[in-house]
Amino acid sequence: MNASKLFVAGMALSMSATAFAAGAHDGGHGHGATSGEPGKASEASRTVTVEMYDNYYEPEEISVKPGETVRFVVENKGNLVHEFSVGTPDMHEAHQEKMMMMVEHGVIQGGKLNHDMMNMDMGNGHSMKHDDPNSVLLEPGQSKEVVWKFSDKGNIEFACNVPGHYQAGMYGEVNFE
Amino acid sequence: MKPRFLTGLLSLLMPAMVLAGEYDLTVDRVKIDTGDFVKEGIGYNGASPGPVMRFKEGENVRINVTNNLDEITSIHWHGLILPFNQDGVPGISFPGIKPGETFTYEFPIQQAGTYWFHSHSGFQEPDGAYGAIVIEPEKREPFRYDREYVVQLTDKHPHSGDRIMRNLKMMPDYYNREQQTVGEFFSDASENGLMNTVRDRMAWGDMRMMKADVEDLQGFTGLINGKGPDQNWTGLFEPGERIRLRFINSSAMTYFDIRIPGLDMTVVQADGNNVQPVSVDEFRIGVAETYDVIVRPKDEQAYTIFAESMGRSGYARATLAPEEGMEAAVPQLREAARLTMADMGGMPGMDHGSMAGMDHGNMDMDSSEDMSGMDHSSMEGMDHSNMDSMDHSNMEGMDHGSMAMGKGGQSDPFYAKGSGLVPTAANGGKFLSYADLKAQDPLYEDREPTREIELRLTGNMERYTWSINGVKYEDADPIRLKYGERVRFKFVNETMMTHPMHLHGMWSILDVGAGQWNPIKHTINVNPGTTVYMETEVDAPGQWAFHCHLSYHAAAGMFRKVIIEGGPDSTQAKTDVIAEDGGEA
Amino acid sequence: MSCIRSLVAASFLASVGFSTAVTAQEMISDTTARKQPLTTWGVQFEEFEYRYSDDGEELGVWNADAFYGTDDFKVRLLTTGEYEVEEQAYETLENQLVGQIPISKFFDAKAGVRFDTPEGPDRTYAVLGVAGLAPQWFEVDANLYVSDEGETSAELDAEYELLLTNYWILAATLDATVAFSEDREIGVGKGLVSTEVGLRLRYDLVDRAFSPYVGVVHERKYGDTADLAETGGGSTEDWFAVIGARIAF
Repeated sequence: MNASKLFVAGMALSMSATAFAAGAHDGGHGHGATSGEPGKASEASRTVTVEMYDNYYEPEEISVKPGETVRFVVENKGNLVHEFSVGTPDMHEAHQEKMMMMVEHGVIQGGKLNHDMMNMDMGNGHSMKHDDPNSVLLEPGQSKEVVWKFSDKGNIEFACNVPGHYQAGMYGEVNFE
Repeated sequence: MKPRFLTGLLSLLMPAMVLAGEYDLTVDRVKIDTGDFVKEGIGYNGASPGPVMRFKEGENVRINVTNNLDEITSIHWHGLILPFNQDGVPGISFPGIKPGETFTYEFPIQQAGTYWFHSHSGFQEPDGAYGAIVIEPEKREPFRYDREYVVQLTDKHPHSGDRIMRNLKMMPDYYNREQQTVGEFFSDASENGLMNTVRDRMAWGDMRMMKADVEDLQGFTGLINGKGPDQNWTGLFEPGERIRLRFINSSAMTYFDIRIPGLDMTVVQADGNNVQPVSVDEFRIGVAETYDVIVRPKDEQAYTIFAESMGRSGYARATLAPEEGMEAAVPQLREAARLTMADMGGMPGMDHGSMAGMDHGNMDMDSSEDMSGMDHSSMEGMDHSNMDSMDHSNMEGMDHGSMAMGKGGQSDPFYAKGSGLVPTAANGGKFLSYADLKAQDPLYEDREPTREIELRLTGNMERYTWSINGVKYEDADPIRLKYGERVRFKFVNETMMTHPMHLHGMWSILDVGAGQWNPIKHTINVNPGTTVYMETEVDAPGQWAFHCHLSYHAAAGMFRKVIIEGGPDSTQAKTDVIAEDGGEA
Repeated sequence: MSCIRSLVAASFLASVGFSTAVTAQEMISDTTARKQPLTTWGVQFEEFEYRYSDDGEELGVWNADAFYGTDDFKVRLLTTGEYEVEEQAYETLENQLVGQIPISKFFDAKAGVRFDTPEGPDRTYAVLGVAGLAPQWFEVDANLYVSDEGETSAELDAEYELLLTNYWILAATLDATVAFSEDREIGVGKGLVSTEVGLRLRYDLVDRAFSPYVGVVHERKYGDTADLAETGGGSTEDWFAVIGARIAF
């Protein structure tokens, strides 16, 4: 029991570790070089507070310079579970499929997250944990940080990939100066 | 002009006065050209459909309605919360608007979203008297879009409403050209075996019911915004834009299954109230319902908005395109819908064993957000040995075996188990179910209902009489509710037809098993052989209409008056009878 | 100036709120047509045809009815006739006026009078009957007649429609008459009097309003009635080719 849980945790860690290497692989979570990379909080040039409502962000766009590291403090002020995820539209589309599966398995239930379900071993070492460095999944009232370095110019958005939210307009544009 | 100028002056002088809008509507005889036929009908401001009324949440509106017909008319604001005497139902709200008279409606706008308006006199609505209402919200909406269009559907028939009613009373299958024929007998026999087919025909013959009885009224031309399929209403867009489509079903009798081949639709509003967004490939819109969806066409091409009637006898279509004149392929109609014995489950005295209609009040649906469209095959890779942490007690309500499975394996808890009407998306994708609707911002706190009222939806197809609890409106006592209570209505559909039940003046909170997130609607569809629950906070004093919104069912007796006893002012609600001029209702 | 005053009053009321409007309002009772039973009417010619027999006889035949009323009570006028073209006389001419009420989910009861005024002696009958839809989609109409002279007879009509397609319909009809007492004057013997069997193929050309058809009809007299017919020089069995239209409006 414990061994398999460790194994799962280990797999999850290793997957995240791979993600740190920018552009190492583009499958699954699709962290390509185009969207940037996780940044260090100490290098952050500024802090941007992003409030999540049902179903939109405030602010709905931010301007960054290429190479800038921004520290996002994300607060969920709505009544539903929301995500804040930085990436290209293609990445978001791929991520939406994973989020759909999370809803179908009861991990995301409207205004709450089923944490037990998240840790469930789906076989092959995959779990439904939501622990990529470029995104956070928050219950109402929760607050978390994402530190991101916008390496190159690109078509980047921050978006909520909970099924239906992106389509309803829960996204924000990242404009490069 | 002078009184208006003075009112304007006063509104400047009195800051306490709120924003006010004044609108004029005339009710006229108009010519309706569907592309298939031209017919005299009734319209507003010289056209059918009437103009789109654009209100703002928070404003007080004054609408002057001038009746240019030679019969009494009325306008009912469908879905709007307003004082009961502004609701526009002759005999219940007010005496009606006489020929030549101008009646002024005045009420505050207390909501936002997509609604519609129509005559509540005689068969004026099927004859063309309908229009759309778009209300801009005070606060920002929980979704974004770059442009919007009203997409209003109707089933325009070459016969007038009076004539259709008379024909249906004379011969209930007058308009049904999808009945089972000798040809179908032989194809069924070769598919299912001769004895099975004979037994099937005899079982239905014994009941004197037709499994082909899905649509009472066929032979119509489906219109979108007043245009038939050939006339092809077109909405322009720029690729990449998000477009909000306000779908309104203003039909007399027809449910439409709507899809836009090539585009996903994200449903964000139902009956004017925001719902948690759900992306679908196709949805069924019942008579009088509205659904707002957001689509995002990315390619520089035309898309067909295809509205196929539920029984597959007719369709409406429109186009979304980057330029005028562009068209996309129009799909073929699918096979005619057929009821099954499961749809008969609601009938008293019919022992169909396991086919009884599902009692939705007992279904625990909290454990899963979205039951339909679940891909069970993807569960193979799950290592079930680690499932002890899963709370199985929540899964009791999910009996996958008993969920109504349609042809494509789709299930929908709001259809009888084994129903022939369970919709499936034409492209095999997701079809919207009532179970997918969850309120985005609940209007009321969830609390226990104070009492339950059972309303059996009944009727006799051969005589074409429709009723509630076996009693037609003409013989019925009003339903009495107390101001301040929360009533749980239990609709038991003992017929084999779908009925969109519409309560005026107060919201219907549909029980989908989501507790405080139950969606708020004004029109609730009840499928054959099923039981559906909805709750109403009784907060609107006065008296209100409550009826099936299929025009010819309401006229045949499926109608009730609801009287609210009590109110914010105890001297209110004198039920003294005041004889008013009779006339067309 | 009173104009301004009333406007000020109206504006004040409006800004105070609209709930006050409810106290001023009495709730009206529904005296509109919706609260009255729905009244409908209809006219139908189930048969409107030309018959040509194997003997060369030519007949113009109709079988029609009109009704007016509500779900609970209808007044019906039923009329049927056979006009002999050569002889320019009515072989049959029956007019019935009945009142009809529902007695079960699928059946109605009716009562009224029937006036027979063909070529030959006239008769008047009291009518009592039951009409409706029997299981397996058979339309049945059973009637009991009592004449002003006390002669009783009964008639049973049945019809079945087979849908070849949704527009081509094959209709089979059976009319059987039984007399409980003879009426020699009009050639009716005791027992089974006659049967008329028809098979008509129709096409719904204009909705259900106009449906032309072709068909075949077989008429036969039995027992005493047949004897009476033979002595009178008439035939006891006839086959007819028919062409006509079903009309409804």
